[in-house]
Order: sequence, then C-alpha cells, then structure tokens
Amino acid sequence: MVRVLLLLIAAGAHLPTMAAGGDISGEVVRQPVNPMAIGMFLVFVALTLAITWRASKSTKTSASFYNAGGEITGLQNGAAIAGDFMSAASFLGITGLIFLGGFDGVILSIGAFAAWPFMLFLFAKRVRNLGSYTFVDVVSERLDRDRIRIVAVFGTITVVVMYLIAQMVGAGKLIQLLFGLPYELAVVIVSALVLAYVAFGGMLATTWVQIIKAILLLTGVTLMAILILVQSDFSFDTLLRMAGDSHPRGEAILAPGVLFDDPVQIVTIQVSMLFGILGLPHILMRLFTVPDMHQAKLSAFYASLLIGYFYILLLVIGFGAAALLYNNPEFFGIGGEIIGGSNMASIHLATALGGDILTGFMSAVTFATILAVVAGLTVSGAAAISHDLYAEVLKQGKPDPVTELRITRITVFVIGIVAVLLGIAFEDENVAFVATMPMVVAASVNFPILFLSLFWRGLTTQGAIAGALVGLVSSIVLIVLGPQVWVSVLDHEAALFPYNYPALFTLPLALLVTWVVSKADNSERGVIDKQNYDDLLIRSELGET
Amino acid sequence: MIEDPRLVQVQRKTRLRLLFSGVTLLFYFSFSLNWMNLGSFLREPIGDSVINGSIVMFVLLILGFIAAEMIFMLISRREKY
Repeated sequence: MVRVLLLLIAAGAHLPTMAAGGDISGEVVRQPVNPMAIGMFLVFVALTLAITWRASKSTKTSASFYNAGGEITGLQNGAAIAGDFMSAASFLGITGLIFLGGFDGVILSIGAFAAWPFMLFLFAKRVRNLGSYTFVDVVSERLDRDRIRIVAVFGTITVVVMYLIAQMVGAGKLIQLLFGLPYELAVVIVSALVLAYVAFGGMLATTWVQIIKAILLLTGVTLMAILILVQSDFSFDTLLRMAGDSHPRGEAILAPGVLFDDPVQIVTIQVSMLFGILGLPHILMRLFTVPDMHQAKLSAFYASLLIGYFYILLLVIGFGAAALLYNNPEFFGIGGEIIGGSNMASIHLATALGGDILTGFMSAVTFATILAVVAGLTVSGAAAISHDLYAEVLKQGKPDPVTELRITRITVFVIGIVAVLLGIAFEDENVAFVATMPMVVAASVNFPILFLSLFWRGLTTQGAIAGALVGLVSSIVLIVLGPQVWVSVLDHEAALFPYNYPALFTLPLALLVTWVVSKADNSERGVIDKQNYDDLLIRSELGET
Repeated sequence: MIEDPRLVQVQRKTRLRLLFSGVTLLFYFSFSLNWMNLGSFLREPIGDSVINGSIVMFVLLILGFIAAEMIFMLISRREKY
C-alpha cells in the first residue's frame, strides 16, 4: 500500500522511506505517452550532453574526475548540492504526503533541511581542509589508514549500492508514471545517460547537471507556488482554508496527527535523516570540488538557502494540491482514488495550474532529478573503489595516474551495468527496506567515524572499527526485525522491532561501543591515534600541512 | 609546558562549533513537540486565522537555522584563524 510512496521517496536518495499510517495508496499505473514531457526532457539531455562533451576535455586526470579540479565556486557548488538534494522524493513525495495528510508531511522537509546548518558548523571547513576526494581521506588522517579505509569504504559501498537499487527501481516506476515509457527502457535510459555524464565528464559534468536541474526545479516550483497563490489572492491563510474545505479530513490536516501519532516515530525519522545526511558519501564528496575552505563553507550556506526556499515553497504546493485537486474529478479514477497514486498529486497540480506545458516541464525536471542523483552516486562509488581502495590501500597512495583514471572509468561502467541489472532484478520486489538502509547505515557507520575523528581526541582505530561494525550490524538486524522487512517482506503478523528507522538506537550504540573500545585500547597504535589529534585539529581549522 | 597558541585558538573555535550545533540540535528536536501533549499549544490557530503554531514553527525553524548559519559565518570571518 505504501509501496509507491516508498519507491518515490527512494528515488530521491536523500529522504528516508516511511511507513506512513493512514490511507496512502496507489499502484504504479503506466500513463499515456507524454510527448511534451519527452520533448522537454530531450532538450535537457541535449544541453547536459553538450556540457559533458566540453567537460570531457578538462577531465584528463583522476583529480579532475573526482573533484572537478577543485575549481567550482561556493555558489555553484551550493547550487549543485541543492540540485543533488532537492529530489523527486521532495517534490513528488512530500507534496503527495501533504496532499494526503497535511502538516505531517513536513517532518521530511525539516529533517532534510536541518542537516545543512550542521554541515556548516561541524564539517564543511574541516572536511575540506583534511581530505582530497572522499570523506574516507579525512578519517584516515589520524587513524591506521589501511584498516580504517577498508571499513569506511565498506560503509560507502553499502550506502551507494543500496541507494542505486532504490534509485533505479524508483526511476523505472516514476518514468512509467510520468512519461508512459516501459520500466526496463526507463532503467536503461537512466543508466546510459549517467554513464555518459560520469565516464566522460566526471565530477565537472555531474556538477553542471545538478546545477541546471536545480535551476529548472526551483523555477518550476516558484511558478507553481505563484499560480497557487493567485488562486487565494496571495493569502496563505485563505489557501489553508481552501485546503481544509476541500480535504476529506477537513481542517484537521492543518495540524499534526493525521499520518503520525507516535512521537518516538517522529524522533526516529528525525535522527535518521539528520545524521544520515551528514554521513552520505556523495554529499560529503561535494565539499572537495571547491578551491578552499572558505568556498566550502559558502557551499553549505548557499545550499541551505536554496533548499530552505524550496521546502517553504513545498508547503504552499502541498496545501495547494489539497485545495485545488480534491474538488476536481478530472484527477480521480472511478473508485475515487487519485489517478496514478498520491505521488502524482504535484504533477496533477501542474496540469490544473498550467496545462500540458507545465505538466511536461515538471515531468521533465523530475526525470532530470533522478539523473542528477544517480550521477552523484556513481561518482562517489567509483571514487571509493578507484581512489580509496586501489590508489590509497593497494598502491599505498602512489598509483600510476593513467592506470587510476582507467580504473575509475571502468568502475563507472561496471556500476552502470550493475545498476541496470539490480534495477530490473528488484522491479517486483518490495524495496522499502533498501531505501531505508542507506540513511540508517550512513547515520550509524559513517557519521560516528567522521564526527569522532574530528572532535574527539580519545578515538582510536580499534574503537572506530568496533563502533562502525556494531553500527552496521545493528542497523541491518533492526531493519530486518522492523515492519518493512519482518512484516512487509517476510509476511509475519507483527514486527519484532516497532520502528522503520533504528538510527535512534543504532547511532548511540555505535557511539557507545566506539567510546568503550577506544577507552580500553592501550595498544601502541591507540597511543599514536590520540597523539595525532592536536596536529589534525590545527590542520583542520587552518588548512596547514 | 607552553601550549601552541594556534591550538588554543582552534580549541576555542571547536567549542563555538559545538555550541552552535548543540543549540541547533535542541531546536531541531523541539519540532517533535508538535506530536506530543506537551506541545498541544502549537496546534492552536493563531488569532482569527487557521494558521497554527505548528506551521509557524516550521517556517521559523527554517529561517532561524539560516540566520544561525549567517551569524556563525560572520563570527568566523572576524576570527584570526
């Protein structure tokens, strides 16, 4: 029942899945072919491929591949982060949730947005100063580089693979909905385009795809919000009254409690989203694309501005959908359900507001959104294997540059093929748990290692490895015992663990184990790890080497 | 033992980072009050409008977090390191 929403949210990459209570429903129904949407999408593809061709001329080394040569400005990088972040899930999923349950839908917005102040306060400057291409560079600065790299790379690959599965399945379903294309064709198109962007244009092309997508999406949602407010004489109060009058639950949707009634469930979502986003490898990787620490801080700040603006507009669009769609039988089927499921609410709203042209534009932007996110994931996965494993572990930081770049591109192609195979293999599976896992693993494995390596003198390699392993295992076990796997996949009557997002429990557990093991670690290596801290602290703030 | 003055400065900056993060974390999790009895006052409409405290809190949190970032950036710019 909640599957379509889960898939769409998975497609967004940065929002967790959620087992929303209530009457979320709607199976994926292939829609008629939408020539306007396809035409606009082809324009986007042509533009981005031209950029990729241009970027390929300057992507000659691994450095330029991984971090665009470090030449992206803070504003450009902030827009790219926003482009990576303002996902199909945000636009379709949150709008659909507000359309269905009103205020409860915004819990995802606040969770997704709040990570950015923390990125600025805690990580932007320090990660940029200490790393080269990936967050694994940072955590290996003061710890035993080989052992911690292998553990951190495992965390990265787990997150990337899980996201790719969720992305590809979500992409296939979304494109069926939006464009009327067959599932398999949609998966192959997404993979082929991403391969072209990433293999030839590297991070530079990926960055520009994300920037263009951000501009298009912000333009679209701004236009939609203005058109909605025109209907309510630019009064938000009037808009809310219209939504309350139209919605079957009345003005109850304006307050919390329609979809969620358990505060612990709310906190589990908050913890997973906040700390999960702070541990996402492809997001952290964007901090290395700028020339210095000041631009890294600006990146996080500009990203906040754009993402905050976007989520405030979604409030208008979500309640606008409730106000304008419920009374319009054109968008509902014979059984009274909204056509295509609740996640189509924003697309139907575009039709109601701007006809075929706005519908086509927003559909094309949504497709572009998926491409941008998959491209970022692919770069991150390739860097984890070719840089973190091959160059830094196998070659001990002294790889042959030509060979490294070749391995990077081969890795990209392998990831692309694997993504297609996984996407097709999981087409009919319940992938809700696959979409949940990356956020919980990132929160319970990547975040504790990164945070403690930057802010706690007492951290040792043994402690970090023990905490990461406990975080990983406990995340997987609790997700399996939770409703998404134990009930939805394994068909048991009741879950052994009541929450979908165990990060509220697994993150503190990982931190506790890390602390205990580090405290008990009297090894020679443990002493070195602690002695390295002051030097790392100074370099992280001052950028000295 | 004479401590490196750069280290003292960096440790001060670390405390500032943790202070901003702690306050932001507090406000972030205060949003869950909307689903608790303790926060029932947030669900009440404001004046004659249907806009309630929950909706206002959502918007204010976003604007407040952005303001906190601006303050943090301004403080950082004034510092030597």
